[in-house]
This record gives sequence, structure tokens and C-alpha cells, in this order.
Amino acid sequence: MGISLKWAGLPALVFVVATPALAEQLTAAGRIKVVSGSAFIVRDGVQTRAQVGQLVFEADGLRTGADGSLGVTLKDDTRVSLGPDSEVLLKRFAYAPADGGLGLVINFVRGVAAYVSGQIAKLAPDAIRLETPAAIVGVRGTSLAIRVEP
Amino acid sequence: MSSGSPRSLAVFLAMVAATMATACGSKHISGPTRPEQVLVVLLQDSNTGLTGRAQVSNPFGSIELAAERDATLAKVNRRPDPIRTLSEADVKRLFGDALAALPPAPQRFTLYFRFESDELTPVSRALLHDIVSTVKQLSVPDVVVVGHTDTMGAPRANFQLGLKRATAVRGLLANAGLDISSIDVASHGEADPLIQTPNETPEPRNRRVEIAVR
Repeated sequence: MGISLKWAGLPALVFVVATPALAEQLTAAGRIKVVSGSAFIVRDGVQTRAQVGQLVFEADGLRTGADGSLGVTLKDDTRVSLGPDSEVLLKRFAYAPADGGLGLVINFVRGVAAYVSGQIAKLAPDAIRLETPAAIVGVRGTSLAIRVEP
Repeated sequence: MSSGSPRSLAVFLAMVAATMATACGSKHISGPTRPEQVLVVLLQDSNTGLTGRAQVSNPFGSIELAAERDATLAKVNRRPDPIRTLSEADVKRLFGDALAALPPAPQRFTLYFRFESDELTPVSRALLHDIVSTVKQLSVPDVVVVGHTDTMGAPRANFQLGLKRATAVRGLLANAGLDISSIDVASHGEADPLIQTPNETPEPRNRRVEIAVR
């Protein structure tokens, strides 16, 4: 009896978990506006060359080579840019002010990056988290730069 | 997943993961792996001229950056260093490449309408050219047009009016030379007023379309 109940609940659980993820994946988080030298977008583990105008989605990684730089503007006006030999991961992006869905989590993996906050920082500053290997950065409507050194 | 776990644990795990990834990726370095360190500097938003605040935290402590070019060095195994203020030359040397790659600051415009109409006021009509020239300076522009109303009438009718206004503005921008496929329209109806009013209040400043250009 207990086992059958457990299995009966499984499809419902999968549905609940899968639906928001699917909905978020369909909406772009932003767009690549600046590319110089070697710059890449990493999606589902596949690295492709980044191009100006390309859409960026939640869970995408952005990466540059030794001669590369790249700049992105997100839909809430947040801007993020990378210098050479750098990598960031857009772990979470939710911008739906009407129903309260707001969140931004960026993981700064290596190299040099700049960040300028947008609307999410105004509406829900606590929903923003900039992660680095040695600290978490919380922001109050600002611009900052981060350098991860090996 | 992250919402269910205690934040401090999630933070710790993220740090461990990043440190391990680095350790695995740098096999050519012999001897003990140097722990990563992160330099964070607070900057002025060159668009607004404002400097905000940033809280830099790890499991050992936390420090707040509150003035322009305030910086802290954080390491994995101890609290973030006390603040030191970088010079402008330091900022340029350390972060110049990334800062140079920042896209242009997004811009916002507001256009106003005649009462219960999708017709622009004369002043707003004159602003259309500024919007078009701003958009044309961008290599890959995104233009979002959102229509708003005052609280006169039913919310559903106001949603439609907001959409009508936004669509009218899209048409004007397209006529003025913008690519219509780069312009998104939406309506917030009476739900997102610039000026808070009671219901059934005529308010010209709420009869507007906001245009974001980025």
C-alpha cells in the first residue's frame, strides 16, 4: 500500500518540478551585445562561438579566450561583461514583476568581470546573488567588478 | 533545490565545488594548490552617477563596500580582508578589459496620451525622433514598448487600451524607420501606475507608454 502510494505520487512530482523549468527555458534572459576576439557560449555542455545578437538563456555559461571579451544585457537591464580568459555562469534569471518572480544568480568562475545592476536590483535586491569561489556578493543597486585569481 | 536548503550550506557547497573544479583543472601545477582569491571592487554606475553598496560574505565573515572603488580581497579560508580603496589607475589596470566590454546603458522613454485615446500628446510625438535615433545607434537593439492607463474604467478594458497604446507606438516607431521585428509590445493596463491614485481617477501621467531601449 505504502509503495503504491509512493509511485502514484511520482508523476505529479515530476510534473511540478518540470513545468517551471520548461517555462523559464523558453524565455530568453538577454542578448549578447559585445563580442571581441574569442568568446563562447556554453549551453548543455556544448561550447559554441558567441556572436553579437545571440540570445542568452538561464543556465548558459559565457567564456572568453586569451584575446576575448564579451558583454551581455539582460532583460531587466542588468549588464555583465567579461575580460580575457574569463568565465561566468548565469545560474538563475527570473524577471516577471507582475507575478513576483524575480531572481538573479551569477557564478563568477574565473577571470575578470564587470556587473551593473538593473531592475531586479531595484525591485528585489535580496533576490540577487553574485557567487565567486571565495565569497558571495549581495548588491544594493550598484556597479562592481570582480577578479577571480588562481 | 536551492530554495529548500539552508543558504549557508548552499554557499559553502558552491565554494567547495568551485575550488575543486579549479584544482582538477590545473593539474600542471605541482605542489599544494593555492587557494583561489577574489578581488571585489565597488564602482560608480556611470549612467546614473550613483554608487550603491555591496556585501561581500563567506562563512568566516562579511564586509560592506559603500564608497566608490572600495575593494576587498576574499579568500576561501578566512574572512574578507578589510576595505582598501583602489586608485582609478588600479581599476583600469585590473578591470579595464571587462569594463570596456560593457554594453551601452539601457535607456527609458515615456510617452503620454490623450484621455481614452491612443493618440500621443504633441510633446510626446516630438520625442519619437529621439527614440529612433537612440535605437539606430545600437548594433543589436532590443526595444520593449509597455502600455499603461489611468484607473478610469474597468481593468480589462484598460488592459486592452494599454495594448492599443503600445501597438500604436510600435506602428509610429516602425513608420519612423525602425525594424518592427525588433519591437516587443505589452500592456500593464491600470495595474502599474506612475502616480498612485484611487480607482476611477483621471490622471494624465498614468496614461502613458514606457519604452525600454537596450
